[in-house]
Amino acid sequence: MKDLFHPGKLGLSAMMSVLSAIMLIPFFMMLLTSFKSMGEILSPQFHFFPDKWLFRNFSDAMSRGNWDLYFFNTLFVTAVTVVVSLIINSIAGYSFARLKFRGRDALFIVSLIGMMIPPQATMVPVFLTLKHIPLAGGNDIFGQGGLGWIDSYMGLIAPYVAGSFGVFLFRQFYLNFPKELDEAAKLDGMGRVRAFLAIYVPLSKPIFATLTVLKATQTWNEYTWPLIITVSDKMKTVQLALTLFRDETQVQWNMLMSATTLITLPLLLLFLLAQRYFVEGILSTGIKG
Amino acid sequence: MLKLSGDRVGYILIAPFYLFLAVFIVSPILMNLYLSFTDYDFQQMTFVGWDNYEKLLQDSFFLISLKNTFVYTLFTLIFTMGPGLLFAEILNAKLIGLKGFRASLFIPYVTSMVAVSMVWLWMYEPSHGIFNVLLDSLGLPKIKWLYDTKFALLSIIIMSVWKFIGYNMVIYLAGLQGIPRDLYESASVDGAGVWRKFRHITLPMLKPVTFFLVVTGLINNFNVFEQIQILTNGGPMNATTTIVHQIYNRAFNEFQLGYAASMAIVLLGIIALITVTNFKYGNQTYDN
Repeated sequence: MKDLFHPGKLGLSAMMSVLSAIMLIPFFMMLLTSFKSMGEILSPQFHFFPDKWLFRNFSDAMSRGNWDLYFFNTLFVTAVTVVVSLIINSIAGYSFARLKFRGRDALFIVSLIGMMIPPQATMVPVFLTLKHIPLAGGNDIFGQGGLGWIDSYMGLIAPYVAGSFGVFLFRQFYLNFPKELDEAAKLDGMGRVRAFLAIYVPLSKPIFATLTVLKATQTWNEYTWPLIITVSDKMKTVQLALTLFRDETQVQWNMLMSATTLITLPLLLLFLLAQRYFVEGILSTGIKG
Repeated sequence: MLKLSGDRVGYILIAPFYLFLAVFIVSPILMNLYLSFTDYDFQQMTFVGWDNYEKLLQDSFFLISLKNTFVYTLFTLIFTMGPGLLFAEILNAKLIGLKGFRASLFIPYVTSMVAVSMVWLWMYEPSHGIFNVLLDSLGLPKIKWLYDTKFALLSIIIMSVWKFIGYNMVIYLAGLQGIPRDLYESASVDGAGVWRKFRHITLPMLKPVTFFLVVTGLINNFNVFEQIQILTNGGPMNATTTIVHQIYNRAFNEFQLGYAASMAIVLLGIIALITVTNFKYGNQTYDN
C-alpha cells in the first residue's frame, strides 16, 4: 500500500487522469450536444454545458425514420450472427482439437486464411455470390434472374458467420483439456458428440463469453457491409441509419448526437459490464501467436 | 443410432464452418482474380486480359489513393504504437485508478467507427466545432480541417490514432505483465537505470508483441474505409481517398466490377506480402 502512494506514482496518476479526461472529451461532446437546441449550437457563444437540457431531442431523433425497425434489425442480425457462429465455431474447434481424421491439420491451416483476408478486399465477389444464391430472392436454380440475398437478413448475416478466428480460439482452448476426459467419456459409453455437449460445453463458459462479446460488438458496429448489401429503408441497421441525419443541407447536430448516443449506449454498457471478457478476448487475438 | 466412424464425425463437425469459409472467403478470392481480367457491369461480362491492370497504372485516382493509404497507415501505426507503449509502461507501475484509465483509453476502440466519425465530424465542424472554438479562443486562426486539402488526411489520422491507441496500450500492457520481475531486479542490482532497463529488457522482451501489432496494424490500416466514407467521402479534391474507398466507388457507384476487382487484387497482394513477411520473420520471435 505504501508503494501505491509514492509521490512519483501520484504524479503519474494525476497525469493519466488528465489524459483519460482528454480521451473522453469526444464522448462528453456527444452527450452534451445531444441535449442542446440548434439555436444554442449555432450561437457564437460556446458553452460546454447546455443552457437548457432538452430531453426531447432523443425522442425527436428517434421519430426521424423508422428507428424501432433499425434497432430490431441490428439486434436480430447481431443475435443470429452470434448464436450461429458460436455453434459452428465451437464444434469445428472441438473437432480440430480433439478428434482424429485424415487431413485434419492441413484443413485447419487452410482455414486460417479467413483470419488474414480482410472482408474489404473481397466485397465485390461476396456481393456477386449473394446476388446469385440459387432459389433465393427470385433467382432460378442457377442463381439467375433475381436479387438473391441482396437486401435481406441472410445477406447481412451469412458472410459473417464463418469466423476463422473463433475456430482458432476454440481449438486453442480445447487443446488444453486433459486426455483423460475423452477416455472417461468413452468408458461411460458416450459418443464424441455427446461428450462435447455433456462435458466440453459446460466447461467452456469463459470462451463462449469472450467470443459473444467480441462477435456482438463487431456485428453491432458493422457499417461497410450493410452499406453495400441493403437497398431498402426497412433493412437498415442503426449504424447505417445514423447517416440519415447528414443528408440535410444543414446538419441537425443535436439530433445526430442524440441518435449517436443511443446507438453507442448498449455497447458501452456491455463493455462496462463485461470489461474482463473484452480485454481477454482482445488479448487472445494475438499475444499467444 | 448409427455409430459413426471417428473420421466421419470429425468431418461432419467442421463441415458447416468449412461451407461458409468456402463460399464467403475462399471462393471470393478466386472470383476476384477472375473478375479482375474482365469487364463486368452486372449485365455483360467480357474477358479483357490485362487491360484493367494497365489502366490501374495510369489511373491518377488510384495512384493518389495508394499514396494516401500508405501515408495514413504509416502515421496511424507510429502514433498508436509509440504512445500505446508509453501509456502501458505508465499503467504497469500499478497506479491508483488503473482500471479507470484503462477503460477510458479503451472505450473509443469499442465504439463503432460510424458513431466515432459522427462525433469527430461535429468537433471538426469549421464554424461551431470544438477545435475551432478552441483555436479562436486562443486567438489563433481557424482551420477548415476536413474541408482543407492540407489538413483533411491529418484530421482523419488524428481521429484514428485516438480510436486505436487504447487497443495498442492494452496489448502492450499484457506483454509487459508477462516479463519476469526478477529480470529488472537483477538489472537494478547491476546498477542499470530506467532507460537502460527499458532498452535492454523491456524492448527485446516485447518484440513478439510489437511484431504482432505491426502486422495486424498494417493490415487493418491498409483497409481504412469507414471513416473516409463518412467524414470526407474521399474529398476534398481526392485528398483522402484510399484503396478501399476507390474499390467501393468503382464497384458500387460506377458498376465497374472488373476494374474494382483488379484494385482488390492489388490490395490482396499487399496483404499477402505482409503476411508472408510475418511467417518468414515472425515465427522465430514467437518461440521465446
